[in-house]
Amino acid sequence: MHPLLARPARLLLVVAIAALFGVPLAWILKLLGPRPWVAALAFAVPLQIISGFIVLSAWWVCRRHPISGPGAWRAVAVQLGAALQTTAIRTALGTFWALALDRWLYAGLSRADMYRDLAVMFATGIPFYLLSAVGHYLFLAFEASHEAERRVLETQVGAREAELRALRAQLNPHFLFNSLNSINALVGSDPEGARRMCEGLGDFLRRTLALGARDEVTLGEELALVERYLGIEQVRFGDRLRVERAVDPDAAICRVPPLLLQPLVENAIKHGIQDCVNGGVIRIEAQCTGGALRVAVENPVDPDAPVRRGEGVGLQNVRRRLEVFAARESQLSASRTGETFRVLLTLPAVVGALSEAPRG
Amino acid sequence: MAERVRVLLVDDEAPARSLLREYLGAHEGVEVIGESTNGFEAVKAITEQRPDLVFLDVQMPKLDGFEVLELVAPEPGAPAVIFCTAYDEYALRAFEVHAVDYLLKPFGRERLAEALGRARERLTLAAARTQGAAPAASPASAAGALAAAARGQGHFAERLVVRDGAQVHVIPAEQVDYVEAQDDYVAIHEGGHSHLKHQTLAELAEALDPERFVRIHRSFVVNVDRIARVELLAKDQRVVILRDGRQLPVSRSGHDWLREQWS
Repeated sequence: MHPLLARPARLLLVVAIAALFGVPLAWILKLLGPRPWVAALAFAVPLQIISGFIVLSAWWVCRRHPISGPGAWRAVAVQLGAALQTTAIRTALGTFWALALDRWLYAGLSRADMYRDLAVMFATGIPFYLLSAVGHYLFLAFEASHEAERRVLETQVGAREAELRALRAQLNPHFLFNSLNSINALVGSDPEGARRMCEGLGDFLRRTLALGARDEVTLGEELALVERYLGIEQVRFGDRLRVERAVDPDAAICRVPPLLLQPLVENAIKHGIQDCVNGGVIRIEAQCTGGALRVAVENPVDPDAPVRRGEGVGLQNVRRRLEVFAARESQLSASRTGETFRVLLTLPAVVGALSEAPRG
Repeated sequence: MAERVRVLLVDDEAPARSLLREYLGAHEGVEVIGESTNGFEAVKAITEQRPDLVFLDVQMPKLDGFEVLELVAPEPGAPAVIFCTAYDEYALRAFEVHAVDYLLKPFGRERLAEALGRARERLTLAAARTQGAAPAASPASAAGALAAAARGQGHFAERLVVRDGAQVHVIPAEQVDYVEAQDDYVAIHEGGHSHLKHQTLAELAEALDPERFVRIHRSFVVNVDRIARVELLAKDQRVVILRDGRQLPVSRSGHDWLREQWS
């Protein structure tokens, strides 16, 4: 739908502007041939109003054929064609209108007068359409810049929101409650262990806040945070939690959004290790091949555990953050084969200096 | 009051169990008879060792704390239960199944002593009631409430748990062929096996997803995926033929339900 046709007020505006164009047309007709003002206006104004609606068709042509880019010449040709077509329609309608007026209002229009009016209608029709096309192109350009601005803002807001969510998920209160309970237990049986765990927990929280305040971190930094997390969970789960790592040195220096991996490892414990009587192995892989960074987290699944439908909050959150980081080149896939659940992240491998300063 | 309390600890995390052991060690007349690290072990230990009191974690491998309770509580002489978890969202469900107390991790000695005191009161009361032979709540209806609490409000059961002595079977709901009422029990038929469970058919039917399970008869609930066809035997007398050839009777209202679900 044309934006000018969407509301009655705008519709009136179209009618008014088109009618105004009728005045110069009437003046030209009066200059060329003897006829009263009333007759000239009665002919020109309604014709212009109808033409006004006809040239609104430029909207669709303009949208289909943008004037910038490689198709510019083609667009000009298409517009000229459209100008001829709309002008032909206008001239045909104008001719009928002239004949009708001739019959009802006054007689005496000679054949020569008719041909001359026809030429005038045709000659004024083409610039009228082209004017409309120019107007539409300007409007579309204006709208596009507006839209781009809005999208930039939206992305920024979305990115902040995803970061906040990640940080909140990171500081999962149940993780803290369980860790405090473990410390509580260690105080009696192994005071030295309790101290180490306090230290580890403090270190983990401090690193989380530091990394979370940055735009990007290296995968190595992210993995170091995950190690701290696993160290704390090791106290809770003991031998049940075993970890394998296969991280290429090339991959460790790639840039990633902060707090991306930890939710995946947390899920691997919550839905994997915790459900299995004898625990199992969490496998963390990272490779960098052909300009793409692939990071995978695998965990065992208990065959008796109910099958989870859809994606949990943790995965959705990681997906959103990947989109913000690199919407087109990044991907998250989760799959279960047999008794193994695997999440694979693919993102562009970017290596280089990081912005160390936290954002203000 | 100086009676001995036999306690079972159920938690999959070793530090959590050692903490309970340490705290309970300070109390006279409390004997820790065992530790279980998952739901199956817990059911086995409760059935075989008959503890008076169980400290029960909620999130564990195999069965969660509520499912454990669903399997052992309907029996006479079921233990008193104190839940221990880091999650506060199960508190309401815990009290619906008559838990003595609900300990939120991390908790201190005093909080545990308080819970233990409550448990002792409950046990003394229960012992007095057994001697006076006061009528207890019907086990079957208690089982229904327990099962409802186990699956949580507004959820349909994704798996059914049944106990055969000390052994536990977990049956994914989609594997159930049909369920048949047998007095106070239901027989759950699944792939040629049949499991008895102390529950009424109405309660079980309520727990199952009505899109998948239809009550075709006073005594039968069937998985609609297993139905091959419905045959008319005589006027107003129909049978459902399952894919394995088995025939189940269909009542008039059952047929109406079936037409609604299975058209």
